Amino acid sequence: MSNSAIPSSTIRMEGVSVAEFSWEVRSPLDRALVAGRHGAHGDAGVSLTEIRNFDLVQVMARRGKTSEMAKVAKARFGVTAPVTPQTAPTADATLIWSGPDQFFVLSKGGKHTMVALGQAFASCASLSDQSHARVLISISGAKARTMLAKLSSIDLHPAVLGVGAAAATSMDHTSVTLWRGGDRGEQAVFNLLVFATFAESLWHTMLDSAAEYGVTIGHSGELT
Amino acid sequence: MRITCPFCGERELGEFTYLGDAKPVRPAADAGEDAVYDYVYLRDNIAGVMSENWYHGGGCRAWLKVTRNTLTHEISAVEPAAGAGAAKVGA
Ligand SMILES: [Zn+2]
Repeated sequence: MSNSAIPSSTIRMEGVSVAEFSWEVRSPLDRALVAGRHGAHGDAGVSLTEIRNFDLVQVMARRGKTSEMAKVAKARFGVTAPVTPQTAPTADATLIWSGPDQFFVLSKGGKHTMVALGQAFASCASLSDQSHARVLISISGAKARTMLAKLSSIDLHPAVLGVGAAAATSMDHTSVTLWRGGDRGEQAVFNLLVFATFAESLWHTMLDSAAEYGVTIGHSGELT
Repeated sequence: MRITCPFCGERELGEFTYLGDAKPVRPAADAGEDAVYDYVYLRDNIAGVMSENWYHGGGCRAWLKVTRNTLTHEISAVEPAAGAGAAKVGA
């Protein structure tokens, strides 16, 4: 989400014009995402859903503090933070590997914000709020993997990228964090975090890639 | 060409950036001008096995030390460069 300033009124103060701003949270995909159908008619092979309003904090161990960070994470979340390209779901968050000695905390509802996590990790890790810096896209449907395979150079076969597996990789020259969520019925769900300013570009690329299968487009406030 | 990142696994070349010879070592502060000149500017033009710095910028953003044959592109070893991942340093 990005904060966009919209001048709502202009008031005069002692002869000087002062713009008064009202701040409104908007998704970086606000313009690009048009809910509904795209591409081929018939049953949609791909479903693209932007997940909005999430909390995302990157936790990076300070030099020599990796084991301490792991202990704090275990105490805080009740699971072992991933040390390989994997995810670790908890009751109210998902921990996602994002590189050596670092992971994301993805959550909703303000339970694991910078402020909430800052205290716990103060002695061992550096935190960076990415909530408004990334766009989260959920990709599902019978043709989701086939569509992504056109854009990705990693092996997306279920035997390689199983449920819960993650990857820091690039799609269409754009850095992404990709991971398999829980299957929906028989079908795989791929989640993708992309830098906010690259989101629109990647979104259009995915629409082009998915058009031949038919796409259902939407957005949601719920993490999958 | 593909590089097997020790953190991510096998990845295509496009995810990496080449940063050159990994052999030169920064000279001591009192090593003198010639040593600094050598360190900053002079490189061997190796035809054969070479130790190189690569950056996995399109992936995990770790620095890697890659042993590569410049004649065949064969990669015989990939390891994290010093400082890649906090666990590798002073843990
Ligand atoms: Zn890597």
